[in-house]
Amino acid sequence: MLDDEAGPQRRPAVVAVKPARFAYTAPDTVEDALDVLDRFGDEAKVLSGGQSLVPMMNFRLARPEVIVDIGHLGGLDGMSVSNGALTVGARTIHARLEAPAVTTPDGRSEPLGGVLGSLLPAVARFVGHLPIRVRGTFGGSIAHADPAAEWCILARTLDAEMVALRRGGERAIAAEDFFETVFTTSLAPEELLAAVRLPVLGDDWRTGFCEFSRRAGDFAVVAAMTAVRLELATGVIAEARIGVGGVAGVPVRLGDAEATLMGETPSADLHAAAAESAAGEVDPVGDLHGSLGRARVARARAPGAGASG
Amino acid sequence: MSWVGRSIRRVEDPTLLCGAGMFVGDIGGAAAVRFIRSPVASGLIGGVHGPAYTIADLDADGVGNIEAVLHRPDYVRLAQPLLARERVRYVGEPVAVVVGATAAEAEDLAEQVELDIEPLPAAVGLEAALAPDAPLVHPAESESNVMVAGEMATPGLVEALEAAHVIVELEIVSGRQAALPLEARGSHAVTERFGGRTTLHASIQAPHMVRTVICDLLGMPEADLRVVAPDVGGAFGQKLPLAREDAVLVWLSRRLGRAVAWIEDRSENLMASWHSREQRYRLRAGFDVGAHLEALQADVAANVGAWPCYPITWGVEPLMALAELPGPYTPEHYGVRSRGIASHTCPMSPYRGVSRPVITLALERLMDIAAARLGVDPVEIRRRNLQSDFPHISPTGLRHDEGTYREAMELAVSHVDLGAFRARQSAARAAGGPQPGIGICTFSERTGYGTPAFAARAMGVTPGFENVEMSMDPSGYVTLRIGASPHGQGLETALSQIVADELGTDPSRVRVVASDTDRTPYGWGSFASRAMVLAGGATHLAAQKLAAQLGSLAAEVLEAAADDIVLADGRATVAGTSVGVDIAELARIAHHHTQRLPAGAVPGLSANAGYDPGGTFSNACHVAEVEVDPDTGGVSMRRFVVVEDAGRLINPMIADGQIRGGVAQGIANALLEEVVYDEDGNILTTSLMDYLPPTVAEIPDIEIMHLETLSDATVTGAKGLGEGGTIGAPAAVLNAVNDALAHLGVELNEMPATPERVRAAVRAAAGGNSAGETNRSTQEAPVQ
Ligand SMILES: Cc1cc2nc3c(=O)[nH]c(=O)nc-3n(C[C@H](O)[C@H](O)[C@H](O)COP(=O)(O)OP(=O)(O)OC[C@H]3O[C@@H](n4cnc5c(N)ncnc54)[C@H](O)[C@@H]3O)c2cc1C
Repeated sequence: MLDDEAGPQRRPAVVAVKPARFAYTAPDTVEDALDVLDRFGDEAKVLSGGQSLVPMMNFRLARPEVIVDIGHLGGLDGMSVSNGALTVGARTIHARLEAPAVTTPDGRSEPLGGVLGSLLPAVARFVGHLPIRVRGTFGGSIAHADPAAEWCILARTLDAEMVALRRGGERAIAAEDFFETVFTTSLAPEELLAAVRLPVLGDDWRTGFCEFSRRAGDFAVVAAMTAVRLELATGVIAEARIGVGGVAGVPVRLGDAEATLMGETPSADLHAAAAESAAGEVDPVGDLHGSLGRARVARARAPGAGASG
Repeated sequence: MSWVGRSIRRVEDPTLLCGAGMFVGDIGGAAAVRFIRSPVASGLIGGVHGPAYTIADLDADGVGNIEAVLHRPDYVRLAQPLLARERVRYVGEPVAVVVGATAAEAEDLAEQVELDIEPLPAAVGLEAALAPDAPLVHPAESESNVMVAGEMATPGLVEALEAAHVIVELEIVSGRQAALPLEARGSHAVTERFGGRTTLHASIQAPHMVRTVICDLLGMPEADLRVVAPDVGGAFGQKLPLAREDAVLVWLSRRLGRAVAWIEDRSENLMASWHSREQRYRLRAGFDVGAHLEALQADVAANVGAWPCYPITWGVEPLMALAELPGPYTPEHYGVRSRGIASHTCPMSPYRGVSRPVITLALERLMDIAAARLGVDPVEIRRRNLQSDFPHISPTGLRHDEGTYREAMELAVSHVDLGAFRARQSAARAAGGPQPGIGICTFSERTGYGTPAFAARAMGVTPGFENVEMSMDPSGYVTLRIGASPHGQGLETALSQIVADELGTDPSRVRVVASDTDRTPYGWGSFASRAMVLAGGATHLAAQKLAAQLGSLAAEVLEAAADDIVLADGRATVAGTSVGVDIAELARIAHHHTQRLPAGAVPGLSANAGYDPGGTFSNACHVAEVEVDPDTGGVSMRRFVVVEDAGRLINPMIADGQIRGGVAQGIANALLEEVVYDEDGNILTTSLMDYLPPTVAEIPDIEIMHLETLSDATVTGAKGLGEGGTIGAPAAVLNAVNDALAHLGVELNEMPATPERVRAAVRAAAGGNSAGETNRSTQEAPVQ
């Protein structure tokens, strides 16, 4: 209800964003991006969906000299299957994983089926809220390496491989070696994360994902993922993977609990035993919203709880 | 047919919903102001180096200090500088200010400013501030951190407690919370090159009051300052007190001769705007064999932060608790000590409900605990204790006009079907896992009070009345200028309904002008669930006067008696006939053919009125249903029912909106939101990742029913209801959480009931009488 007589009209407002000064470049090709990264090294920062980097810059917690916006590059987007692996391009936005579709070798798009086809949407819905999921990217989340991030937990649980490019080179990094500590990965400053390769899970796999957070869309206080392969003839667990996020600097695998499951037939007692040994394996670091101790962790990790794939 | 009582659409909405609103941040064309704030909770300022203005610059210009005063012997008076002088007293206190061309540039300048501060020990929480050797927040003015201490007792209290059949003791703790308006604070000041008049646009609730105090501080005539509240994106009390920053903005724009703007960011808002609700209540209550509350004794301590707020003072929370604690109940004996304790933390302002969410939490936990102790049903104990004879005079002398305390509760519990719920609950207890719980809360909400109520507080400034100016233009449209300052409540729409009924016109022919000191009569603004009662009452009175003018003009034109004229459907008609004239025609005559006016009549059509009532009490019953996971401590809301009696409903849809928003905030207060400091006074909750307002996913559908007791305490029959949602919800939710875990022996009397606190209470219950909220009350009895 502004004054209609002499009052001010809507003018360019005081621009309320306030990062420190930086140079900005938006290369058209992966090669150009790699050149810039090579030239500026740790003075440069890749900008993908900006959902983690931009807030940090506005708080001036991150003060990169050069921003390399990869939003205009071709070739880093989308999913495809080859050689038993699902390759997720780094620029694939979270929302795309809510209804994952792969590009076939002849260029068509078809829904991703199978166990991953139902697991990925079940996990994707826990990532932030819709406005974040349509901007933030799978690769950005992996490179950002928040220990409670759903995709980081998934990557660690399924032993994903990260594909890193640098000028004139490429390497694959195993998840175990990729996540070093909170917000820190083994990616070199000159490297660009191009894609993540997830193993395609056969029909004999069963998965579950469960998360405890204070509000819908929040980062998890704790989240857990399980994936087990069943001997279909006998019903015995032939392979077990349990990953947890939010309890340490990186997403962790719970070897003892996995061992408890191996070679056994699933049952409520077995799940309880696995949960018990899982609780013994983690010693959560407290923060403002989570120093609840082990009971919570044990429950959240019971296989079969939450989403199933 | 009457317009009052109909849910017509809000005239405010199209602009806001289409993104066409004009907020302070939309004004633009100004240099960016950045405040440099103390990084430490307590310290001595050695120097400020760099391109910044400090208190020395304000002092050199003779700018005064803020004095928020209560005239009572137990009140510590202070003079508060606009920027910190010599000492800093909380993290976030403004120390210096820089001006840059853009926000980023101002940020760069701020980084060049060096604060040389020698840190001192800080008193942070209530206990720390009350400790015998606590660091003092205002060592020159006070030998302790107790800034205000009210005390009263009815004769016979001690004997009544001794005679009680059962004594229930309990301690209630409320975490510190922030009102968290969607739009943070902000202001924009521009000074005319010639003439030197300044216009301040600010995101505030009380423009006239802000103009007065800023002019007092800067020593300028009020006629030279225009204060406008443009669209305001939520306020909830946080924008009621004077913001030091707004006064500095006016000073800067006059000094620099340029437009300057300050747009508070979220971190700044969480750190350095106002907080509220950090309180601890210790209750000792005596019940007779019939489960009647006979005597209530309370010791209340409120952490009021480092400075008082103007003009409400730091008495606002503790003294409201003192006066209103007996709530909807009828103890004959009442005694209380209530203190405001200063600490090295952000100052406190009123926040929707002020003390009443905690008062209500205390009383409603008391009722549930007493019910369990006495083996009475929670509904039954309330039935026996709620007010039912009206007017009821409380032990502190408050007059409760007629309400429907019991009826509202009976309606609410029959609506939720308690029997069916209890069956589901026992099934869940047998099955294990997440547990359902239900909680009831009944309360009164003191609303619509004017000068008489504020005068009783002995404030240095006594708010109260509301004025309106109404005129009808030659086209027959009405312009209503009000001193209140609505900011999203829909008051413009509701007032137009009152006007339409009195004048026999349509609400679409009413324009409401508000929130601009150049264009509205002096008034106190929108806060304390008052605008509908006060501005609505004044509007009703002014409309009656205008109707009388139209009536006598119509009588002249129609050659009838004024008493026989009826205004309806845009026409003035002679009762019982079809003889009439359009009101628009009368409006023409009143301006353009004044020779036809009755002899001696004043040309034009206008009327002013003021209204200043003593106040009224609304009442409500809230019922919350939750599900609590004892393993994670997670609480989710399942259902929420409100039965509200706020007297006559002017626009039921708007009333429901107020209730829904309030309940959402109350649920957040109960479960999610908490400002946390570490023991050195560093604030840990400076973003929305740490301070947790709810999303739509955390709030259930809110089922609302109304009772309408037409109050004789107000001219429209309407009572206020702006705060009720927030007042009742925390107690309903906490009672529900306790109910869900009752079979485990859990007692949780602290809000917010975070997963961590729920787990601690579950562990404490499992470990027998180990530490926890429950036995704190037995360690320290109330002082009296
Ligand atoms: C309110 C809110 C809630 C959120 N909730 C969740 C949640 O529940 N779970 C969750 O997992 N995330 C959550 N997020 C974060 C979100 O998922 C981000 O999208 C994600 O963390 C980062 O992806 P991005 O594309 O936005 O990356 P950016 O913010 O652009 O970048 C993040 C970091 O990764 C680096 N980087 C990005 N891409 C590459 C690349 N290809 N190669 C090398 N380095 C790269 C950047 O340099 C930067 O350091 C939330 C964010 C917000 C704002």
